[in-house]
Amino acid sequence: MDTTHVVKHKWFWAWQDEKEEAWLGEMDREGLHLENVSLPGRYEFHQEEPANYTYRLDYQSLRSKDKESYLQLFEDAGWEHVGNMNGWVYFRIRSDDGDTPDIYSDKKSKIGKYERIITYLVIFLPIMLILRPNGLEGAGPFVFILEGLFAILMLLYVYAILNLMRRIGQLKGENS
Amino acid sequence: MTDYSKSKFLPLTEATYYILLALVTPKHGYAVMQEAQEISVGTLRLAPGTLYGAFTTLEEGKLIKMVGQEGRRKIYQITETGSGVLLEQIRRLQIMLQSAENKRAVWQNLITQEGK
Repeated sequence: MDTTHVVKHKWFWAWQDEKEEAWLGEMDREGLHLENVSLPGRYEFHQEEPANYTYRLDYQSLRSKDKESYLQLFEDAGWEHVGNMNGWVYFRIRSDDGDTPDIYSDKKSKIGKYERIITYLVIFLPIMLILRPNGLEGAGPFVFILEGLFAILMLLYVYAILNLMRRIGQLKGENS
Repeated sequence: MTDYSKSKFLPLTEATYYILLALVTPKHGYAVMQEAQEISVGTLRLAPGTLYGAFTTLEEGKLIKMVGQEGRRKIYQITETGSGVLLEQIRRLQIMLQSAENKRAVWQNLITQEGK
């Protein structure tokens, strides 16, 4: 493996997208340029000259026929598409110190992004309830562990939705 | 004639107002961004995420429609409904401006008094 290639692993919660954006910008200032994100939690970088980039994450579940025009619009506006991961779309743009370019120019549309994530999570909730491991025979340790895991997953779901709603509340309260 | 005054899109946001105005002639997204910035004398800078969201909502509401494609770029234009809503917004804006104009003497007096 060549030495200019660096892989990092990191978890990323849906309501911490701004933290993710800041982290990737930080990596570029240290000379690590993001190459790929396709697998959750796995980031591929290559070593380059340190540079100033602003990263922005959008959340979209686009039909493939809409994807091209969507990406083209961002590209026309100067944003480079870096990759996709679980509905997240990663963009970056060269920026100067103190400059904070954004992919959203008003609060309403920015809130729309978080509402899309919540919608996605809420749609999956009944599917998960159907898949709930309660139809299994007996109550062996396997079923017990499975039910425990399921309970944790459900709690995470609710926690994620609450955090996203808090994020929307923060945005609504902000001036500008 | 259809009554557009009860459209759920009213009042238009600054962004949708300029997007509809730009789409009086067919355009792709980036051209809308450029024209919106120009005709708003720089008071509105549209970011791509906001514009894309607006396109989706306006197309669903049938205020704009796709009229063609230029490579990977979709070309949109305002519809009859869109024009109706835009005209109603303009009518409201004119009322707003006129009402301020009618009171100009009063508030101009206030400003000069505060300035002293």
